[in-house]
Amino acid sequence: MTDDQRPPGQGVDRGGGSAAGGALGCEDAMKSVFEYLDGELPPDYSEKVRRHIEMCKRCYPYFNFEQAFLDYLHDRGVKPARSDRLEERLRTLLGEVDTEEAEGCD
Amino acid sequence: MSEKREGFEAEALIHLDGLYGLALRFTGGDDAAAQDLVQDTMLKAYRAWDNFQSGTNCRAWLTTILRNTFINDLRRTQKRPVPVEFDEVAERPIYPQLQGTDPEGRFFERIVDEEVIRAIEELPEDFRVPVVLADLEGLGYQEISELLEIPVGTVKSRLFRARRRLQQRLYSYAVEMGYIRRGK
Repeated sequence: MTDDQRPPGQGVDRGGGSAAGGALGCEDAMKSVFEYLDGELPPDYSEKVRRHIEMCKRCYPYFNFEQAFLDYLHDRGVKPARSDRLEERLRTLLGEVDTEEAEGCD
Repeated sequence: MSEKREGFEAEALIHLDGLYGLALRFTGGDDAAAQDLVQDTMLKAYRAWDNFQSGTNCRAWLTTILRNTFINDLRRTQKRPVPVEFDEVAERPIYPQLQGTDPEGRFFERIVDEEVIRAIEELPEDFRVPVVLADLEGLGYQEISELLEIPVGTVKSRLFRARRRLQQRLYSYAVEMGYIRRGK
């Protein structure tokens, strides 16, 4: 397996440095993948991740993959559902509230 | 029909299908519980309709009522939480198996909506609720932490594990359907 085929975080870290120092390595970037994509990292750390993935040919496609997954989940998960029974029951209950309120005004 | 009722039907009732879909995700596909949740939401909204400012985002207002109603019920009925056991295989990332054949995750697009929905609804509740709040509703970690009364670190870890489980589940489905080959 070459470095390019190795999944992020499992290869030789050529990112140069650790999270504590200047630039990030693959492992640190990978650990933060969801926090980064969710926009939950502190701005300066997020910037370090961004700079790393821009330059890293292993992490860049990995981050893209995870972003595609999150987009997909959002697009497909929010699917409306239809229930005529629910609508019918609701209309009856709204009518009851109308009656209650009308009686309350008398 | 009263003016109030007319306004409610025109602005709120049109969101019924969207709310019902969201309620089903929250309740893990429990139809009766989802219908009760939507019914409670709509009745609360109707009683408070005079406070709603016409023309503002009614869908967002109703969603907030639904979410708060669900979480209040959850807190009231929740027994001692059962920790979800770590499953090494189910929570493994799938990217290493796909990077040679489908690094862009195109296979996701071939999976029918019902399968994605089933995968979300079948997650254990402790995982499902943060996923619905974060990935379907777009809430941040801090907001989820406050709503569910759990630390931000727990939100982060549950989301991470839940997303891995969803990926594994969809990957296995895609392999089974012949959309992709199982990677090494």
